[in-house]
Amino acid sequence: MLTLKLAYRNIFRQKRRSLLTAISMSFGYMLFVITLSMVEGSWSNIVDIFTLDHTGHIQIHNGDYAKRPKIHKTIRDRSSVESILVDHSEVASWAPRVYSPALAYGTKKTTPAQIFGIEPKLEPTVTRILQKVSAGSFFSASPNSDGYFSAMVGAGLARTLNIVVGDEIVLIANGADGSIANDIFIITGIVGNVTSFDRKGIYLPLTVAQEFLSLGSDVHEYSILALDKHKNEALAVQLQAQIPSVKVSPWQEIQATFYKTMQADKDGNMFVVGLIVFIVFIGVLNTVLMSVLERTREFGVLKSIGSRPGDLVRLVFLETVMLAALSVFVGFLLILPLIYWFTDVGLTMGVAVEIGGVEFDTMKGELSAFVMLMPMAFILITAGLISIPPGLRAARIMPRVALGSH
Amino acid sequence: MSTVIETKNLCRTFGEGETQVVALDQVNIKIAAGEFTAITGPSGSGKTTLLQLIGGLDEPAAGDVFLSGTNIALMSGSQLSDFRRDHIGFIFQSYNLIPVLSAEENIEYIMLLQGVSTQARKKRVQEMLALVGLEGLGDRRPAQLSGGQQQRVAVARAMASKPNIILADEPTANLDSTTGISLIEVMRELNKQLGMTFVFSTHDHKIMDRADRLIHLEDGVIQLDEMRAF
Repeated sequence: MLTLKLAYRNIFRQKRRSLLTAISMSFGYMLFVITLSMVEGSWSNIVDIFTLDHTGHIQIHNGDYAKRPKIHKTIRDRSSVESILVDHSEVASWAPRVYSPALAYGTKKTTPAQIFGIEPKLEPTVTRILQKVSAGSFFSASPNSDGYFSAMVGAGLARTLNIVVGDEIVLIANGADGSIANDIFIITGIVGNVTSFDRKGIYLPLTVAQEFLSLGSDVHEYSILALDKHKNEALAVQLQAQIPSVKVSPWQEIQATFYKTMQADKDGNMFVVGLIVFIVFIGVLNTVLMSVLERTREFGVLKSIGSRPGDLVRLVFLETVMLAALSVFVGFLLILPLIYWFTDVGLTMGVAVEIGGVEFDTMKGELSAFVMLMPMAFILITAGLISIPPGLRAARIMPRVALGSH
Repeated sequence: MSTVIETKNLCRTFGEGETQVVALDQVNIKIAAGEFTAITGPSGSGKTTLLQLIGGLDEPAAGDVFLSGTNIALMSGSQLSDFRRDHIGFIFQSYNLIPVLSAEENIEYIMLLQGVSTQARKKRVQEMLALVGLEGLGDRRPAQLSGGQQQRVAVARAMASKPNIILADEPTANLDSTTGISLIEVMRELNKQLGMTFVFSTHDHKIMDRADRLIHLEDGVIQLDEMRAF
């Protein structure tokens, strides 16, 4: 306690210098928090766009379907999968899907397309498909009065084929049983725009797609949203243990390239901020060294009366870390309202950005324990490390020299 | 009486070559437990150097220092720190109290290093303050005390760890003569009451007169070593 008291009082010996040092450390902390909040917020937003556009937080497939999709690699025992998904408290929503490549015929042109068979009621609980319908309306699984089933097409595909809502589209694909599937569908909606991820897609109601592709009631995929998106990997592990017959993958595995890119970007940002904070700490190191040099005689006295070298290293360490803790505390109080605002309201961008068919006009940060506490830990640990060289200098002081006898 | 301090052929030089200064040259002394010894001599005679070598604050160029029969040259840095903490009390000419600690805390600090419990430390601090006549001034910082009071705190600090040797480097040099004599009498009284061995340097005759033994140094050589009767 007395050592803490001594360290605390030593901080206030040179009030102006300590204040300047504290300001620089507070500034470093706040800069770190703002950057981290921005990076985490932006990426969180992008991950949301990415996962809520199509991927979901978790996907379930039969074996290696995600890497090598084949029409026959289906999940047949749907009831055992769905019973677990329905009962799991961490699963927010889920939707089954089927896929197949196809040839799409418009009025004058033919183009390759990708069939997405989606469940009309469940799919909107997993993705933003409803928001992405830019023309017409979201389809139903029922045929129209002429017996034709509905389809929605990606904006890119619609432009290529020069088709609009109400037009017919002919699809030809390989059925799962080896047959040639072909049918006419009526366009009820256009999905997204020409920059959307699924601009070449054609959406069919799940049961219609299953029948068209001769899949019976089988599906290729389940897309799942977790209640807590940050715990999706843990949830995937749980689900995998509960349903060992299928392959359960978090989005980080499904979109591995995107995930690695995101991690690399985050690491790059962390490095830059870390570098800025390190530069701040060079100033702090100078201050602590000055403080030690000024007290050479006092350290000599402390050694004379029996302080071990380690006691002096600890004293300098405590002084530096206490000053850092005070600085970070003040920085925390100052930055918390700003980060709260940044997360809740955010910065309005001049021009809205369209990503995956959904418009975003606000840049938001993230307020989390990680955003607030990680920079705190970084500053405190760096302060502790920075105190070691001056502490060692204090520990190496020769009492005779320090006492200034010669 | 057993010997608590012994130096054998103690030498200390500063600088090299033509600028080399011999601070101590073949100094041999033996000081028994409970002695009240004054080291005298003019400025630059080697008094401070001798005290620093005895206290392990400096390393000799040649020769050895034995404290209670132990050669301190054989101790590691930490062992020497612990030995100083437990067996030697230092009093400096310019008090050298820690300015940010109160008188009580200055006295308490060394016991903290010894690992003495908080309760025992508080009790001993009050005893020490009473011994040096500073009751009621324990919460004052050094800057709020007079020179004489600060030196009394330094005496109390030196004695708080219950050392068997007190080394004092010109403890009265910064005090007026009345305060200096008063302080040396406090030290003398403690020496008699507690049997601690006091070795102090001075060039003040009024202070020397109160010592049991005088060791006179000139140019790093002992010129006189005499016991005095009271």
